Amino acid sequence: MNIAVPIKFVPDLVEEMEIDSSTGKLDRTFMRLVPNELDEHALEQALILKERHGGTVAVITLDTGDVDEALFTAVAKGADRAIKIAGEGYAEGVTSHACADLLAEALKDGSFDLILAGTQAVDDLDGSVGALLAAKLGIPYVGYATKVVEAGGKVVATKEYPGGLLAEIEVSTPAVIGIQAAEKPPRYVVTSLVMDAMKKAKIDEAEGAAAGLEGAAEITGMRPPEAGKGAEMIDGDANAVAEKLVGILKEKGVL
Amino acid sequence: MTGEVIYRVNFWGLEHNGAWETVGHVFAYFILPLCALIMLARFFLHIRVWWKVGRPDRRWDCLGTRVGRLIQYGVVQTKILRQKYPGIMHVLIAWSFFVFFLGTAIATIDADVPILFGFSDEKPSLILNGGWYLFYKFALDTFTILFLVGVLIAAFRRFVQKPERLTKTGSFVFMWGLVSLFGITGLIIESTRLAAVAQDTSLQPGWHEGLAWSTPAGWAIAKIWLGAGMAIPGLITFHNVAWVVHACFVGIFFLVLPTTKLVHIFTSPLNTFFSKLDRPVGQLAPAVVQEGGAAGAGKLSDLTWKQLMDGDACTECGRCQDACPAHYAKTPLSPKELMISIREGLHGKNGFAKTGADAPEFVGQGVADPVLWSCTTCGSCVAECPVLIEHVDSIVDMRRYLLFKQRADAELMTVLGSFRRYGNSFGQSDRKRAVWTKDIVPKVKDIRKEPADTLWFVGDYASYSQTLVEPTQMTARVFRRAGIDFGILYDGERNAGNDVRRIGEEGLFEMLAMKNKQVLEKCEFKEIVTTDPHTLNTLKNEYFANGNGKPVPPIRHYSEVLDDALRSGKLKVSRKLGYTVTYHDPCYLGRYNGIYEPARRVLEAIGCRIVEMPRNRSKGFCCGAGGGRIWMNEEVVKQRPSEDRIREALALGSAECFVVACPKDLTMYRDAVKTVGAENKLRVKDLIELVDEATAEAETAAPAVETAAAGSTLDKEADA
Repeated sequence: MNIAVPIKFVPDLVEEMEIDSSTGKLDRTFMRLVPNELDEHALEQALILKERHGGTVAVITLDTGDVDEALFTAVAKGADRAIKIAGEGYAEGVTSHACADLLAEALKDGSFDLILAGTQAVDDLDGSVGALLAAKLGIPYVGYATKVVEAGGKVVATKEYPGGLLAEIEVSTPAVIGIQAAEKPPRYVVTSLVMDAMKKAKIDEAEGAAAGLEGAAEITGMRPPEAGKGAEMIDGDANAVAEKLVGILKEKGVL
Repeated sequence: MTGEVIYRVNFWGLEHNGAWETVGHVFAYFILPLCALIMLARFFLHIRVWWKVGRPDRRWDCLGTRVGRLIQYGVVQTKILRQKYPGIMHVLIAWSFFVFFLGTAIATIDADVPILFGFSDEKPSLILNGGWYLFYKFALDTFTILFLVGVLIAAFRRFVQKPERLTKTGSFVFMWGLVSLFGITGLIIESTRLAAVAQDTSLQPGWHEGLAWSTPAGWAIAKIWLGAGMAIPGLITFHNVAWVVHACFVGIFFLVLPTTKLVHIFTSPLNTFFSKLDRPVGQLAPAVVQEGGAAGAGKLSDLTWKQLMDGDACTECGRCQDACPAHYAKTPLSPKELMISIREGLHGKNGFAKTGADAPEFVGQGVADPVLWSCTTCGSCVAECPVLIEHVDSIVDMRRYLLFKQRADAELMTVLGSFRRYGNSFGQSDRKRAVWTKDIVPKVKDIRKEPADTLWFVGDYASYSQTLVEPTQMTARVFRRAGIDFGILYDGERNAGNDVRRIGEEGLFEMLAMKNKQVLEKCEFKEIVTTDPHTLNTLKNEYFANGNGKPVPPIRHYSEVLDDALRSGKLKVSRKLGYTVTYHDPCYLGRYNGIYEPARRVLEAIGCRIVEMPRNRSKGFCCGAGGGRIWMNEEVVKQRPSEDRIREALALGSAECFVVACPKDLTMYRDAVKTVGAENKLRVKDLIELVDEATAEAETAAPAVETAAAGSTLDKEADA
């Protein structure tokens, strides 16, 4: 099967997030962008399928800045193609709706049997790209998948439901599967292979339309979560602590 | 007493004695030389795989130094003597062997040169006559005694003591039996001759009892034969039978040598001759990069011929295993077994000894992955190995391949991802690297912007670890107190990559080193200082290895800097501490870089009394964190080396403090002292904490570092 893996770049939560007071949005000046973790799982699952059944894997991303290294890393891991869509306004961030539009445009030629996307991203304020993409392409979508198996031209996705329920859902291809977790953690590929990919591989660059805001939720403001009032520390020996705790629980009406 | 000069009688008892003469000549001039030739041919066939399979490696340079190493390690055997009991045992046997070999060679020259040059009639013995002969006999006889003592010590060790580290196979018993019989038959030959000569001195012209001192062992036994009343014909027959048996043993020895443990007589000295000269012990060779970016050694043919020779040079003495923290931890690694695996891979039936694409993978099949991942790269095995085997280099080469194949611990791979993205193992933003400096007044210099004498390369643990913030701040304070003009790289610093390289991620090491070097090049400084021995090792031995003609900046450990500052009086001791302490030598400071004394001098200067743990200096026992082990899952570790080390310190009885000089050690041993339950008996202290305490008062009025102004003393801590 020919598999496409869209990769979204999201703010690195290792850095402190700041809100630009003039726009009310995240300040992107010093922001470090990293591939969305679940998209890395989607890539891992795609590579596992390729190893098992053959086929190709292509990674595709919007050029929101500094994406090349991640694309080359994907190639070093075993992806056959890397596609970068550049366009106006991408660097300021692209909503999920716009992202799905742009990806649909790039993927609509039907050369892919399967699209594996991370089921969600840490920056999601606007819905899941995978589901939107499936809708735009008019093909089936299964989200929250933890396993994908190829079976006679179709795929069977294992989806997790709350309460420990698992469903096996068979879908005909082409289809979009939202990956919650790959079968195993994303692989680490040695730096020498990444360097080798940087020297030898080529990133296919495509021109995309300007990112629109159509259909997306409008963000009116952002603020960091407020800190709580803090915890009360109870000191003393076990008996005193227990007594005090019972008192507090009674006072709060729990007991 | 006749005035006749004594000389060595060739083929005594055999020559002019009917068929014995033929037997003697056939053995000496045909069978034994043939056996020796077969031995050389078999040895050649045995070792041919080294260069047929192994990669090339230039080890023919600096012949003088190499011959020196051969003499020191192969002949004098100084490293074998590092351990008394097995050392003495071995040199008694080995030195005797050398003497016997030399003796036989001299005897051959002595007897056969006159025959070859046709003047045997007038001078039957070329050199071995008179005083020379007596000296010759005395040397051989003495070494026979020493030899037999060595053989007895060996028997006691192998059959009674049975230390865990020895390989207990029949092959060793056979070898022991063979060499013991050498000595015994040799003594029989000599004593029967002496007993016969004593009865009729015409059998060896010039002999008289006054010369018996030259053959103490032989004469002592001869007296037994004489006491038993043995007559000359019987003695001569006895002598000749023993001579033939002795010659047979020599023949067997030659024939079996190449394929038994005896082969070490050749391979081990060769190994010392070809040992690593081109780089210090703390410098790894770059990875072999194959087409497609593959790196490291997966097949035996990816190792160098010298690395293959290591396998054949191993004598299975097991000293490496005794010193190995991974073996202590009961992980699957024993450096000795690893060398045996290489040897068996090379000569066994599994076909590993092939080159080319169809050669089977050695890594995984010949040696299991967990064996290679268990190594802490502490270098104890290398330091202990009497024949200079380079275990760690081979382990890292094979790890490079494992990593290339993604056959590594998931946790470890996550950490490598952090290294690649953020330049540190903590997965924290590189911008937060200098957060520990935020309360320091005046601000720590950014050496990228303003020059300073000392560039302090802080390192990951000292920068990011929450528990190390205080010692790191103390280091800054003490440096200021000593008047050291220092600056740091702030977010320009990356992990130096020492452990990344030893994990086997060569490309990542190169990337980290390149980024660091780019920053370093733009800074103005006189020397680099670090508290981290791992960082020190790679900066000192690897960063500037191919200097491209540029001068390498001096790189020092803070223990050296403190030692200097205390000795020159720049740092003044305000209070002698009077603690009894023990000092733990960090692997990468001590064994790898030979820096043992500065920290000890510092401790003495601040008034501490040092009690040494049994394993100190080059025998220092690893905490278990090196070589990337600190980031790997502990599944294979059944008992922690760090806890054993703490118990070693506790056993001293008198030590109140366990002093370390490595950020990772501080982390490891603060944990270990808790898990051992010895927090109240032993305090784990970084060197800087004691130095800070001993030099504090002078400036209590105006502390340089506000946050850590509390200046914790041991007593205060004990109260807390």
